[in-house]
Amino acid sequence: MRYEYTVETEDLAKYYQMGEVVVKALDGINLRIRRGEYLSIMGPSGSGKTTLFNMIGGLDRPTRGRVYIDEVDISKLDAYELAWLRCRKIGYIFQTFNLIPVLTALENVTLPMIFAGVPREERLRRAIELLTKVGLGDRLHHKPAELSGGQQQRVAIARALANDPVIVLADEPTGNLDLHTGLEIITMLRNLNKEKGVTIFTATHDLKMIDVSDRIVWIRDGKIDRIEKRVDVVVSMEEM
Amino acid sequence: MSGAVGEARREVRFPISEAFRFSVESIRKRFTRALITAISIVLGVAFYVGLRTMSDIMIFIYGGSEAARSYQFWMAIISLIVCAVGILNSMLMAVTERTREIGTMKCLGAMDSHILMIFLIESSLIGIIGGVMGAVIGWVTGLLIYVGEHAAILFNPALLGSYALRIGEGVLIAMVLTVGATIYPAYYAASMDPADALRFEL
Repeated sequence: MRYEYTVETEDLAKYYQMGEVVVKALDGINLRIRRGEYLSIMGPSGSGKTTLFNMIGGLDRPTRGRVYIDEVDISKLDAYELAWLRCRKIGYIFQTFNLIPVLTALENVTLPMIFAGVPREERLRRAIELLTKVGLGDRLHHKPAELSGGQQQRVAIARALANDPVIVLADEPTGNLDLHTGLEIITMLRNLNKEKGVTIFTATHDLKMIDVSDRIVWIRDGKIDRIEKRVDVVVSMEEM
Repeated sequence: MSGAVGEARREVRFPISEAFRFSVESIRKRFTRALITAISIVLGVAFYVGLRTMSDIMIFIYGGSEAARSYQFWMAIISLIVCAVGILNSMLMAVTERTREIGTMKCLGAMDSHILMIFLIESSLIGIIGGVMGAVIGWVTGLLIYVGEHAAILFNPALLGSYALRIGEGVLIAMVLTVGATIYPAYYAASMDPADALRFEL
């Protein structure tokens, strides 16, 4: 079954108690991400980007409001279903790559498929295929420490795609990379989105991301400041 | 609108063979840390088994009093407490430094129980290896101390049973201490929200 909206949030809020003060990391976010869309969340650090990433990814519980993934309210899921959702429906990419240090590139990519119950031969075949696609066909048996930052992030992309997720969430995917490598990663995400129709959500303050996003959501102090479609951005840049 | 209605139960898997492989890889990769933990187990258990073996031999030869026996027993217990604190500290560090890894595993679909399984396998392996080594070293040391004067009676059938008992005790104690010291930090780390685990810094 295919749904029009992969992600929907409804009055999503997250408050943190910091001593005496209540910090409103997110305060009433209503957002719909269409299937096949490339959406970027932009905003200064501390604006709530990562909190939104965590909420949509089912990694943290909201104070108020709801998140729907493929029209399922994720707050209603039990531990088994939540693990299943993280395993099968969502692919995660992090600023710090977060590969498992004791496993090789190949094993890192097969790990989510182990949880998904994919048979061993199929796991290996698919992991090799994915790693080859991200240009690491000759680095299968290297451990993360033996790979450069850009290579580690490419392993992370392959891992995120292992179980054919409906959405790939990326939190500052280029934050720890130099300009050139960052651009490579962005291009790779864009190609995935264009060629395979993978829905992509990135939280970033990397302006290079603007060129490839279908929509850019600017957030400030936990609220949506404005939403721009790429055509608008391109037009306004031409006007200047 | 729960997704599970009318469909097969949506579950993730982590077969024990995979968990075992993962645990062995972890120990190999962090060999120094595992070695330090194992050494503290070896020392504690060796001391315990050594003392108990010696007191078994003494009682066999001299008939010894209950008082002497209980004095040595408490010495051994104190040595085990010191050893337990060392293991607890070392396992606590070993688990907390992997909090982010645990968060990542949960993003990939691991459940709390899978994480616990990995840590329990790891600590049992370290506990068994350290325990067996410590028990054998302690036992041999106990024998060596008496081998000069009483070599003839050391392998008296009446003593063999109590040796086996002491070695068994030593290995069991090592297992209980290591697994016990791991359960709490592993349970704590596994039950964190992945977002908190990923944010975690030492």
